[in-house]
Amino acid sequence: MKLPLLLPVLLCVGCSAVSHGSKLSDRPPEGGRGLYLSTGGSPRPYRTLGFAQVLGYGVTVAGYSDVGDAAIDGVIKKSLVDTALRMGGDGVINIEFEDENPPTGVERAAELSESISNVARGNGGVKVRDRNVIVTGEVIQFISSQP
Amino acid sequence: MRGTFGLLLLMALAGCTSVNVAQVPSIRDRRDVFVSTGDVKGPYQSLGVVQTTRRGVLLFGFADPAGTDLESGLRESLLPEVRRLGGDGIMNVRFQQTQYPVPTRILFALLFFIPLPSEVTLSGEVVKLGPGAAPPSAGTPSR
Repeated sequence: MKLPLLLPVLLCVGCSAVSHGSKLSDRPPEGGRGLYLSTGGSPRPYRTLGFAQVLGYGVTVAGYSDVGDAAIDGVIKKSLVDTALRMGGDGVINIEFEDENPPTGVERAAELSESISNVARGNGGVKVRDRNVIVTGEVIQFISSQP
Repeated sequence: MRGTFGLLLLMALAGCTSVNVAQVPSIRDRRDVFVSTGDVKGPYQSLGVVQTTRRGVLLFGFADPAGTDLESGLRESLLPEVRRLGGDGIMNVRFQQTQYPVPTRILFALLFFIPLPSEVTLSGEVVKLGPGAAPPSAGTPSR
């Protein structure tokens, strides 16, 4: 009887999820090693080689364990960089990213609880949540500023 | 009959546009972090990228107890993360909030037992400004 009252209260609890990625390139870039990566523009004249969109797929198992490649850092620093290098780029600018389905703290707790309950009762498996991280960017090649 | 007509009239007058706004910290207050959808002109040090998501429900079509609007997402989730990372601000911010037109909200105010799912997401790159660099909007007051 109390469940209908409890449910709205649980649904109203502030649910926040934060996804982080490690630092991108400084401006001006340090040392000139590695690809230049930025959510903004280029620090030097460039020509555009193309555009890249990378999808990192993974799952969150039982609200607790993140499996796969659905992490902002991995998608940018590995998949996007590999793609840009294959295209012959010196950098990727105007990077945009989205972690499409990040579980909030409350959702993680609920999924863990449901999974334990399912396993204990022997009906149904653990809760699995699909995770997608999409990263897009403009692959560029620096050109000499001298004519 | 009259009640139905009144409801339809109210929904028609309510229009089909939904507007959400968020106010950023004042650029004159140098103690606070800056927020910009644009790039920083000048040297900066990248501290990383961050995305914050707030998820909840709208009760009675309008009540937002979880704070899933742009203002709450900015003030209660994104800005604390920028400060926690030690940044001077966040640039190239992208944002998205679930929006419902007023007629839909009125409908779900009547269907009060069905909560509307709501979500706000903000993301950007946290930076520390280098010597001589200014926040993107400094010197160009918007009002």
